[in-house]
Amino acid sequence: MDNLSDDRTLLIKNKIDELSKVPSFLEELIREWGLTDAILFNLNLAIEEALSNTILYGYNDSNDHFIELSIKIENRQITVIIEDDAVEFDPTTLNDPEIFQPAEKRTVGGLGVFLIKKLMDNVKYKRVDKKNILTLTKFF
Amino acid sequence: MNIDILVSGGYTIIGVEGRVDTTNADEFEKAVVNVFESGINKIIIDCSELNYISSSGLRVFLIVQKKMIATKGVLKLCSLRSGIREIFDISGFSSIFSIFPDLESAKTE
Repeated sequence: MDNLSDDRTLLIKNKIDELSKVPSFLEELIREWGLTDAILFNLNLAIEEALSNTILYGYNDSNDHFIELSIKIENRQITVIIEDDAVEFDPTTLNDPEIFQPAEKRTVGGLGVFLIKKLMDNVKYKRVDKKNILTLTKFF
Repeated sequence: MNIDILVSGGYTIIGVEGRVDTTNADEFEKAVVNVFESGINKIIIDCSELNYISSSGLRVFLIVQKKMIATKGVLKLCSLRSGIREIFDISGFSSIFSIFPDLESAKTE
């Protein structure tokens, strides 16, 4: 890794099929940055969970919207910023699911944000100029 | 994602290969629910070729487990890769499924 600070951006339309752009985008970066498959898996998962929430629940109209995913590596830290113009949604305020319940009592769903919080080292949310800005940090 | 279905040793073995994510979890759900709804009540999901899962895929596992418990069926999982196992552990799924290290032990134990 020659360059210790590097920054890439991917624009994603608010359609579920667009999520298939994420793995190849990340894979290329991870190879270039010399990171492990485990980090790739965790980043991919956290990003998919955040994007799919926005795409599935974030818009009340049928217009095209763009979600901006940017990812940066600096020293031993990866920073992911997801910015969208969807309805206000602060994932950091969600309650964690009850993961120790038996299968019969478990609720189907609600794991996405929980996985983001568990897999990333920091999760920060801001609402700025009618935009949601979610910042995920992973140390490696 | 690819799915194959094999009947062996009294079990129907569903092999899932590749990624189960938001874009294809519905397809995975249909395939597994079809097996369940055909009246089969001994299922193994072979995860040896599963290399990625997100919450939409986990959701399918939970739905099937709930159905199997309700009908007193048997659902076993086998051969989870370490990344997948980690997600199962974090989600509390490791304690609600019977997970075996390989297909042979899933069939015989």
